Amino acid sequence: MHPVLTIAKFELLRSASQMRRDLVPVAVGLFVLLLLVTGFAAQSGMHLSDGLYTVGVDDPAFASVLANDPRFVVYQADASLLARERGTLDLVVVGGQARAASTPRGQAAQKALRQVYDGYVASVYSAEPDLFAAYPLWIDTEEVKSEVDFSATASGQQVGLRPDTSSPTPEGTVEPVSEPPAGIGVTAEELRRELVQDATSDDRLNRYTDVLQGGTMGEFRTPAQLSPPLPFDSIVLIFVFIFPLYFTSQFFMMSIMNERIDRRGEALLASPVHPALVLLGKGLPYLVGMLFVSTVLLVVLGAPLVILAVLVPVILFFLAAALLIGMTARSFKELSFVSIFFSTVATCYLFFPSVFANVHVIALVSPMTLVVYALQGTPITLSDYLYSTVLFYLVAGVLFYAGARNFTEERLFSQSRPLTRIREFISSALSDQHPYASLFLLSALLIPFVFMAQMMALTLFFNLPMPWSILLLLVSAAFVEELAKSLGLYALFARSERFRSWRVLVPAGVAVALGFLAGEKLLLFATLAQITESVFGTVLFTSLQALWMPFLLHLGGVLIVGAAVLAGGRRGYVPGLVLATTVHVLYNLAVLQGVIG
Amino acid sequence: MNLRHVGLIAKKELRGLSQERTILLAVLLQVFIAVFSSFLMVGLASLYDPSTLSRSVSAEYAVGYAGNESPLYDRLEAAPGLRVHRMDLSVAVQALRERKLSAVVYVPDTSPSGTEPVKLTLYTLQNDITASVLNVRLKGVFEAYEADLRGLRTDRIEERPLPLRVPTPRGAEFYEFVYGLLVPLLVLMPAIIAAALIIDLITEEYQQRTLETLLATPVTFPEALWGKIAACLVLVPLQAGAWLVLLGLNGIRVAAPVEIVLHATAASAVLVLLGALVSLHYRERTSAQFVFSTGLVVVMLLALAVPANPLNLIARLSVGSAGPNHWTVLILVTGVTVLFAWVATRYARTVERAFLEG
Repeated sequence: MHPVLTIAKFELLRSASQMRRDLVPVAVGLFVLLLLVTGFAAQSGMHLSDGLYTVGVDDPAFASVLANDPRFVVYQADASLLARERGTLDLVVVGGQARAASTPRGQAAQKALRQVYDGYVASVYSAEPDLFAAYPLWIDTEEVKSEVDFSATASGQQVGLRPDTSSPTPEGTVEPVSEPPAGIGVTAEELRRELVQDATSDDRLNRYTDVLQGGTMGEFRTPAQLSPPLPFDSIVLIFVFIFPLYFTSQFFMMSIMNERIDRRGEALLASPVHPALVLLGKGLPYLVGMLFVSTVLLVVLGAPLVILAVLVPVILFFLAAALLIGMTARSFKELSFVSIFFSTVATCYLFFPSVFANVHVIALVSPMTLVVYALQGTPITLSDYLYSTVLFYLVAGVLFYAGARNFTEERLFSQSRPLTRIREFISSALSDQHPYASLFLLSALLIPFVFMAQMMALTLFFNLPMPWSILLLLVSAAFVEELAKSLGLYALFARSERFRSWRVLVPAGVAVALGFLAGEKLLLFATLAQITESVFGTVLFTSLQALWMPFLLHLGGVLIVGAAVLAGGRRGYVPGLVLATTVHVLYNLAVLQGVIG
Repeated sequence: MNLRHVGLIAKKELRGLSQERTILLAVLLQVFIAVFSSFLMVGLASLYDPSTLSRSVSAEYAVGYAGNESPLYDRLEAAPGLRVHRMDLSVAVQALRERKLSAVVYVPDTSPSGTEPVKLTLYTLQNDITASVLNVRLKGVFEAYEADLRGLRTDRIEERPLPLRVPTPRGAEFYEFVYGLLVPLLVLMPAIIAAALIIDLITEEYQQRTLETLLATPVTFPEALWGKIAACLVLVPLQAGAWLVLLGLNGIRVAAPVEIVLHATAASAVLVLLGALVSLHYRERTSAQFVFSTGLVVVMLLALAVPANPLNLIARLSVGSAGPNHWTVLILVTGVTVLFAWVATRYARTVERAFLEG
């Protein structure tokens, strides 16, 4: 058997032997309980926003309509009493006229009343014998594919907004569109059935389940049913995919942590197998498990299996992060806090951009956007796939490399402070014989992380008002780059007295700047062409126009931080970083002025 | 039980937390989420109710009108934020493809008062935010036109719904999302963190084999357990209170903060004790966390399915419409806590006896 498989088998057997014997029956029992509770909850409904509003009604018929909505606490009384009590109620309905308190709660109650009343009207009208008298207007929606691509919206060009009053004339050739037939082609009874179904099902919940079933409504809608065609529904489903992955990666994290307790991992370290293979073997059961769970979910939900290809880089990213967190945490508490923090930030990264699926090219930053596309039936191109997953593959690869490189006795059983450990991990990538070559490589390897951090900043800032979004982006992008460049140099200085000299500074700075530039160029040309074309791209990647200018900029930044550390020791690091960031921002501003103005 | 010993253990655990400094990450997370709650407001709120999107975009949209004359044209012309152009259908659709229009409406030759329905065809752009925003605007116009048509056919309608005039609400888009969902979930987050923490604190004693050392001191195991529970519970009101302050800074005022913190603390006491029981039984973090998380989902679902559950009460307290009944629920939850506390203490005694004997 291949050593990787042997270790995988060992991992499975050991985790099985560590379990108490009642774990499996308890898990099965909990699962049955979960099914029962889900059934109960589906029956009784979610009581989260019950009783938020108080409403007084004079008409008993209205009172029974409102009593159907648990958000309202309904009081029925005569008009004069209600008039006196108006101050204590959110909403008063007297003589067919609603009056709300002018408080925010009163206005919200009014909004809820509208929804309830619309539902009631629909239930009355859909029982009408002559359905087309009650519902005389039906709308058939046809979707037209735009010929202008995303770059139009990305560059801030609004659609269909024209200052002049004349009719727009198309530039391309006009293809004849046949006039749609006047007849509806469906019987009134079929439409009525759909209306009733639409009225009785819980609207909010239904929207989420409908995504996969193609919708219960036919192609024809009444004006009230004309809800916006947003991708948001499928985004909620993203959580369904992410949570099991996050959960399983926790087990891997714990398994790594367990090797470090009581130096249990000595046996593994002593084995003649390369650490990378050991880690592959340990991770394999979890990888297979995650793929299995995802496949089952996809099959159960009836979603396209292409999604699996999108989930693979996310799974690898989660596992690689779990590996490093498991290797660095000093205690269980620390493991919990770091993993909660990591999962929240990772979820933000995956979730936020996909809110803008179909709207803005920024959405493709997250692989989850591709999941949304797949659920909608939008074809995914290879370049889309490459664009949104390459960072995940690269970061996972670099993290795994760092983990394998540091899977040694010295690193695993050390109890130093987190920041020191991070420095030690980075330092392990440097070589004493070839310090400059390894600095070059390290800087290039850090590029995917820099891009990820910048993408995160981009998704967070791009919806702010214009000058602020650009400004915040400029500062954060410059800071992230300077930080990344300085890490290798700082680790080198801390490594040994031999390197802490002014003679080393200049060649080291050149190595870092060259590595950074090479990595940046390579990755950008491979993937990020779409973002670089928009105005945000200009801000993020100004340093790419000519080669020697950005090289000097990168070199300058590194030299500033390096000089600050040489002069002031550890205390000089932060001021040096701030100074380098300032210089970087000023340079970018100058370039931007030339580009825009 | 010696309270001084309990306090001693609690202080030791809290000191451990502050020495490791990683609890700062939890604080950082809170700030991170709070700072970007502007994003949460726009992004998540539209996820909750897509029609809020139309207010954030104020612009005039060009709409093509093709087919037969109808009162709909005048309605579209009168609507704010829309500009109608009478056009040939084929030309209009091509203009839409080139994004020179944002929608095209085609009206067929159907008699407004006839027996057949009027079937409009609406051409919109596929996968575009414009379509979402525009649909919200067009919906109002279409509804008005529907009312016109209904008026023409009114003598064929047998039962009419009770009439009701509801004025347009002002600025209530995010209200239910914020108070009915965001506030209860955010306030509950510390409870879940506390429960995860107690599992760590207990299983660590077993897995790092420090339990013997602990029991060799004058501190008994139940005292140690309660010290750990106390350390976790102290953090809950602090974190929940911090959330309420941060929400307040974001302009979301909460009506009864003290009561909310009380409910959050009582609910998290239940979860923490549950976590403690599970980890006393499994003594190993992976199993304990697995069983606890699954159990947590069961408990949460069950709680949400019952009217007047603590989460609902937190929502009602935050808008100030709870009434005095919430005290009854608080007493009930505290009763459950006392029951769990008794079970946990007994369990801890059994564990200690077994440990000392064997």
